[in-house]
Amino acid sequence: MSQSPRDSNISPGSSPQVVAAASHALFWLVFANSVGVMIAILLLFPALNRLLGEWTYGRWIIVHMNLELYGWTSLPMAGFLFKVYGADRGPLAQWCRPVLWVWSASLGVGAYSWLSGHSSGKLFLDWSGYARIFFPLAMIALWLLLAASFVYEWKNAANSTLAARGAKLLGLVLLLIVPIVMYIASSPGFYPAINPDTGGPTGASQLESSLIIVAILLMLPFGLTRRKAGHSRIIAIAWAIMAAEFLLCFALGRADISHHRPAQYLSLGSLLIWVPLTAAYYAAFEWHANTRRWRIAFLCWWSALVLTGWVLFLPGILDHFKFTDGLVGHSLLAMAGFTSSLLIFVLVQLLGEGGWIFNRTRSFYGWNIAVLAYVVLMSAAGWREGFDPTFTIVPGMARNAIYILRLVVGLVMLASSLDWLIDATTLLREPALVPTAQEVTA
Amino acid sequence: MLRGERRTSGWQGASLVAITYVYFLIFAQFAFLKRLASLGVAGAHLTSVMAAMAVGGILLSLLAPRLSLWPSPNLRLRVGLSASCAAAFLSLLPLGLVASMAVSFLIGAGLGLLTVTLVTHLRQWTGNRFPLLLVGLGTGVGYLVCNLPPFFTASAEVQAATAGVLCLAGILVTLRPTRITPEDAEIPPQPAVSFLRVLACFTALVWLDSAAFFIIQNTPELKAGTWEGSAHLWANGLIHLAAALASAWFLRRRGLSFVLSVAFLALGFACLLLLDPGRALLASVFYPIGVSLYSVALIAYPALLGAATSTAERGRQAGWLYAIAGWSGSALGIGMGQNLGYVPPLFVLAAGAVILLPPLLKFLLQRKRELALTVAMLLAAFYLDRILLAVRISPPLSQVERGRRVYISEGCINCHSQFVRPNSPDVLMWGPAEPLQELRQEQPPLIGNRRQGPDLAEVGNRRSPLWLRAHFCDPSEVSGASIMPSYAFLFRDRRGDDLVAYLLSLKTAGAEQHQTAERLWYPSSSAVAQANANDGERLFRRHCATCHSAGGRTRLIWQTNFKRLPPDLAVGPFFYLPPSGPAAERIHRLAQIARFGVPGTDMPGHEYLSDNDIASISLWPPSPYGCRNRSGNRVKTHKYTTPKGDKP
Repeated sequence: MSQSPRDSNISPGSSPQVVAAASHALFWLVFANSVGVMIAILLLFPALNRLLGEWTYGRWIIVHMNLELYGWTSLPMAGFLFKVYGADRGPLAQWCRPVLWVWSASLGVGAYSWLSGHSSGKLFLDWSGYARIFFPLAMIALWLLLAASFVYEWKNAANSTLAARGAKLLGLVLLLIVPIVMYIASSPGFYPAINPDTGGPTGASQLESSLIIVAILLMLPFGLTRRKAGHSRIIAIAWAIMAAEFLLCFALGRADISHHRPAQYLSLGSLLIWVPLTAAYYAAFEWHANTRRWRIAFLCWWSALVLTGWVLFLPGILDHFKFTDGLVGHSLLAMAGFTSSLLIFVLVQLLGEGGWIFNRTRSFYGWNIAVLAYVVLMSAAGWREGFDPTFTIVPGMARNAIYILRLVVGLVMLASSLDWLIDATTLLREPALVPTAQEVTA
Repeated sequence: MLRGERRTSGWQGASLVAITYVYFLIFAQFAFLKRLASLGVAGAHLTSVMAAMAVGGILLSLLAPRLSLWPSPNLRLRVGLSASCAAAFLSLLPLGLVASMAVSFLIGAGLGLLTVTLVTHLRQWTGNRFPLLLVGLGTGVGYLVCNLPPFFTASAEVQAATAGVLCLAGILVTLRPTRITPEDAEIPPQPAVSFLRVLACFTALVWLDSAAFFIIQNTPELKAGTWEGSAHLWANGLIHLAAALASAWFLRRRGLSFVLSVAFLALGFACLLLLDPGRALLASVFYPIGVSLYSVALIAYPALLGAATSTAERGRQAGWLYAIAGWSGSALGIGMGQNLGYVPPLFVLAAGAVILLPPLLKFLLQRKRELALTVAMLLAAFYLDRILLAVRISPPLSQVERGRRVYISEGCINCHSQFVRPNSPDVLMWGPAEPLQELRQEQPPLIGNRRQGPDLAEVGNRRSPLWLRAHFCDPSEVSGASIMPSYAFLFRDRRGDDLVAYLLSLKTAGAEQHQTAERLWYPSSSAVAQANANDGERLFRRHCATCHSAGGRTRLIWQTNFKRLPPDLAVGPFFYLPPSGPAAERIHRLAQIARFGVPGTDMPGHEYLSDNDIASISLWPPSPYGCRNRSGNRVKTHKYTTPKGDKP
């Protein structure tokens, strides 16, 4: 695909550093998906567990979830930050790959520690022992690179506005907090509010975490592209609504409150405004032509996530689906549907013309249809399980049929991710598509 | 294009590769050995016979490029095929030692001439359009054919005769004229790798392969886990085919070093897995992957990828490759298999050093900055961790606390919740509910978010130490059809007992109140109406018979550990049923026991079973009362209600 002059302004091309970040992310996606397929096989053929020795099913689940989270969904954001802070160009660009290596090494150490039985017992914050120190250090390595790039650009780039510099400085301060929060939050002594009727998160804490996602969604376009002329009103409205919702969230507090309380589910319902608002917000920015299908996909998954997330929290419905496969399906909708399509959209925008690696029809439809099928299958299983827990605990024909289909869609997702990884490594070996810093200066 | 010549489609090349592999694998490596065994050739005699094959192979591998007697490659190939064919048929004769050695020499010589000639002039038969793919296809098909169950399990005579017939077919293939179209060449340039390094890599791979093959072949336990059964053979064949095609693809996209490295990783891993016969099944996946990956490269390298500047040089390289890596590597591997009976991990490591170290060093030297930063950060984290450990005061843990750590380490939280939802069916099933204040005192609360198995918040009230131990050792036996893996390994040290202690500690106040609620429970009327003894029998055999039948496995294994040996329900006695009174009441009590167990004993509940299942189970036991309907009337005796052909 040739790059139009307009596109070249929106997304300059494939920076080798961003391609490297995408490759690392995709490697962990493929690895974690392979583990997911293995887990799906083990659920169907439990006798195979004996081949794993002490590296049992329970330990692999931790590996699967954490590598999806801290590998696949985190490393594309490293690529994004390289671009925003200018770390992918200039003399500091040579440190991007070493930072990615450290990050991947920390995931490798983490995977080994989980398989060796080191766990904090906290889902999604499962860092303990040596790995609990190494992973935040990897984050600090990234931060140091971004900070150095920021200082370099401050000194050398004359065309940066004060507002942009201020925003980047604020971003750096917030990013510095992340590894510290990560270390503290991994502590067994720290636990969020509990819904006393389900044992899960309260409506307020779900609203809080959702608003953090919304904040990221609102911030992303500013680091990726530029606004369209005449669309500043919708942008201002979106930020104002988000601020109002954060105030609502603070008002709700962090007590252990049931989802049966109207204030909880009604306040969570306020997120529904983001279904039309996010689409309108993203339409206010200019995007590379290659991003179109993933932009549509991520907005569709986002709409489905917000809507189903709220419905599943309603009294009666949450009581039925809690602890069932229905919520496993919803988690996949969040991670493989929304988060993955958003990250790929971001990567395609960052890669520009190199974004073709994610745009093959087979892998695009393969991934999205498989995710949809997975969500539908798990919802059906969860629906049955809500009436009869034996459905899962004592496997029968219907449960096995659903799990076989789940394995098949898992294989399709694995194949799609492998397709992207192979193309990404091909792109990685190609000569740089973008001019070097010296060429730009010249 | 000359008259009578046609542009080759490449099928001849793929066919010749496949025939050569089939001949080598099923006859030279397999059927001939079986044939010698049936002729009584063993021990030192067998070594002499196999040495003759190696001498023939090495000799003709080295001589083939220098043979001026038959300058035409087609003619030379036909001679090689003819010699191989003759050897296969001669092996069917009642040979003595000397004759066996002669035939063995002929096999080696035929193969030497055949293989070196084939790869030296391979493009003549594959053409230039898809030579790598055709080599992959030929290799994969060769392995697939060898693994076809009827062929693999056929007698040595049938295998030898088939190999001979295939050689004749090969001769026919070479009779068809071909013409190369040089303009179609498509293999991208490969990074330069020295011939000596390639030779060392192939030697290491053939060495590992031959050793693993010999060990599997001569260890019944391993053989049963890797090569027996039609489904297994089909799976092996298809894995070989897929890996061979993948090898061709990787050779084109990633080059020789990558393929040899991956082949080693697969083959080395298989060798390590073979150390434990329990993991032979897993080894049977990795072994064919590794073998097929390098087998394609073994042909593709000298024929298509090597840096030879002339046909003569290509022939010489192929000769040395097959003489040293092929024949000598194979002999060394078989020798190791014979003498040690296993591949020592150190030897796998040595092979890895030969294959992986050079590309790894090259890779790392190109990434000094990445390496330096990673090592620096690893060291920084290490020292930081040491400092924090030194500063932190860790009081000794109690057994329950240690058990909790085991629970966390094993990821039990991913399948088991520890949260009884108040005012929900959870309470009767897993209850009573734990106050939130108590839950918050746990660090961290282990609520979980998914139930692949029962909730464990109150498991200490519902299960005995013996039941927990027996369940961890063999979950599917103790809890009918449980998908939980065995955790027997935890009992090799104190972790198992710690975990049991922790689980027994999971109970809150209110157990007596809960037991009262259990005593008030009855199956729903609709479940009672649908219950039937046939389902009851099926469910009894799945969930109860392991303890409550005379030959029950759990009963036999743990018989001395039970607080009281579970009664064989075919004969009783029924300790916890009222000895007299209305039959309906006794059956209701039986349903309660099946559902919630008997507190203070080893009898567990089956809380997760539906009312219908519980009602059916309570109908079935062939108690002194006989089988009864829900009204308590004796309807049929056990032998009449058992479905035909489905007796326990």
